Amino acid sequence: MISCTEFIPSYSLLFTWLENKVDYDEVVRYWEYLGRISTGKLEAAVKEKGLFGCWEYWKAALNEEAADFVMEIHINEDGTGYLASDMRYCPSMGRLLEYDHFEPHHDYCAHCDVIYPIVLDKYGIRSAPRTLDVQRAACAISLHMDEPPAPEVAAAGWQAALKELENAEAEAITAWVD
Amino acid sequence: MLHLRMDRRASDNVYLHKDFHNALNLAIQYLSDNFGEEGVKDYLRFFARNYYSILKADLMQRGLIALEEHYRKIYDLEGGDVTIERTEDPDELTITVRVCPAVEHIRKLGTPLAPNYEWTTSVVHETICEDTPWRAEFSNWDPQTGASIQRFVRKEAKK
Repeated sequence: MISCTEFIPSYSLLFTWLENKVDYDEVVRYWEYLGRISTGKLEAAVKEKGLFGCWEYWKAALNEEAADFVMEIHINEDGTGYLASDMRYCPSMGRLLEYDHFEPHHDYCAHCDVIYPIVLDKYGIRSAPRTLDVQRAACAISLHMDEPPAPEVAAAGWQAALKELENAEAEAITAWVD
Repeated sequence: MLHLRMDRRASDNVYLHKDFHNALNLAIQYLSDNFGEEGVKDYLRFFARNYYSILKADLMQRGLIALEEHYRKIYDLEGGDVTIERTEDPDELTITVRVCPAVEHIRKLGTPLAPNYEWTTSVVHETICEDTPWRAEFSNWDPQTGASIQRFVRKEAKK
């Protein structure tokens, strides 16, 4: 079994294999395939709760990946708002930089820019251009819900956000309302 | 407006994102659909030759204890229902998987298992054993549970 803790090297080496076998465009086609079929959890969360679904999805994923990050969400009752993520040390790129027995794919970080907007755009969530410092395995991104989603989506997101507010102290989350 | 801020250091959590098992499963599906069985094998060999080169060097230096330690560490972390056995023969290692944590998680997500998913074990093991005194055997595969029997033995030894 290839452990899930060994997935990132397998992922990066797959990009390299695809590029060697075909070309860079094939790597992008693979990312587009992932954007269509591998984002089920994210899509379910966003479909139900709008922007707050992004908070729930990345809160779970980034903690499981032991990322070094700050993530903030600023959300209105009508569902508009934004989420900002400051990845101080990406657990994926960071690992790849630590290996010295194989080369990471030269454009490894670009997969995030292709995969996630495919699903987020469908639900009116705009991805702002990402700032990237590959050699430090750091990046920053923000996601914006500029227009209110359907009222039931806004309500579900707001209720979930209020629940998170109640549990914030127990989860070491800083929270406030104004 | 409601504001939430989460600040986490890497040391706050254990690195164990099991959805990555499904990500590998989807990779195998993509390769199978677009490059056929030989593409799947070729990629797995490419991955194993690159990523496991250090493990292979350790295998050559210390023998099967290197693989034993590698897999004990992985299954201790990942769980599943697995027995790793050594006999008095230092050139024999058997990993009996009754429930594979990777297949268990993929099934839990409801994703179909890619064709030849088991090659992520069998082809990888064969590749690690290339040009070593050992060979890898793989049998009793059950795609529902991921059960299998994985053996490493001396090339000249009887099965």
